[in-house]
Amino acid sequence: MNIKLNSRDPVYIQVIRYFKEQIATGILEPGQEIASRRELANKLKINPNTAQRAYKEMEEQGLIFTEGNLPSRITKDEVIIKHVREELILEAVNTFIASIQSINVSLEEAVELIKKNYHKNPNEQEGNQ
Amino acid sequence: MIEVKDITKKFGRKKVLNGVSFTANKGEITCLIGINGVGKTTILNAIMNLTPINSGEVLIDGEKIHKESYEKITFIPDAITMLPQMRIADAMQFMADFYQSWNQVRADELLSFFKLDPNDRISSLSKGNTAKVNMLLGLALDVDYLLMDEPFSGIDIFSREQIADVFTSHLVEDRGVVITTHEISDIEHLIDKAVILNDGVVLREFNAEDVRENEGKSIIDVMREVYQA
Repeated sequence: MNIKLNSRDPVYIQVIRYFKEQIATGILEPGQEIASRRELANKLKINPNTAQRAYKEMEEQGLIFTEGNLPSRITKDEVIIKHVREELILEAVNTFIASIQSINVSLEEAVELIKKNYHKNPNEQEGNQ
Repeated sequence: MIEVKDITKKFGRKKVLNGVSFTANKGEITCLIGINGVGKTTILNAIMNLTPINSGEVLIDGEKIHKESYEKITFIPDAITMLPQMRIADAMQFMADFYQSWNQVRADELLSFFKLDPNDRISSLSKGNTAKVNMLLGLALDVDYLLMDEPFSGIDIFSREQIADVFTSHLVEDRGVVITTHEISDIEHLIDKAVILNDGVVLREFNAEDVRENEGKSIIDVMREVYQA
């Protein structure tokens, strides 16, 4: 589990975001079992109450589900998964637009640069997804 | 819940605590933050009734502390209180003789968690391992509340990480923990509630996630704010 927490955003939101990224990229597959709250708290070195809160929130958003006393699993609902992916893409695109607009780059120029640089550094791109 | 209500404490003419109030819930980690000398240890001593207070009161689950309370709440001081010639096993026996709440199963679990050898003498241990034994002796008690004084100070980074791991494990689950520190950055993500102290008063008491969510601030941001105000 590779996640870098910052100290200003709520930890539970950072945890949910991490799960969304994993779901969108398919690293966490539909129906896959996920770590227990305590395991997660231990891995990320976060407060167990916070891990609990992140899971509760994800459960409410339909990202994960829990049957009885079994470990929680990633949703199998394709609509939700598709929605998560779209949400992350849109967010990334908006961030990108905001940063190029702030330095007065035209759409044409930006598109040109994207085409030129898209395949340049695949490793870095993976990290940014 | 531990309720500290408006306690004051003087050492001679020097007022150390000047009306301190805060609460610490069960199942949560509450952190008393403040630079050296603001009275953090005195507060823990006052909660345990190890030092008389001049006014105010401390309630543990609604009751004033009494003899039986020591089976319900324990204090892990910043330095180990066992005799140096004791082996770890002797120190555990000492605790077992003293406290009904001693849980040997958990103690053994902690021994392997911290990778300690019960036959080692306390005098022969490194600083980090001495701190771990000190933690073990408190954590192995089946108490509802744990007070820890500076559990991270003066020990190496790996020992610190190991001790921090305890807080996310079942070893602390559902218990109320109050820890003091002057160095918050290691444990920012571990604590539920922060109580910032200065000059014997509480400057601010807040839930760490709430402040991140509602104000977009880290614990250190809040400290900077209140100390420099």
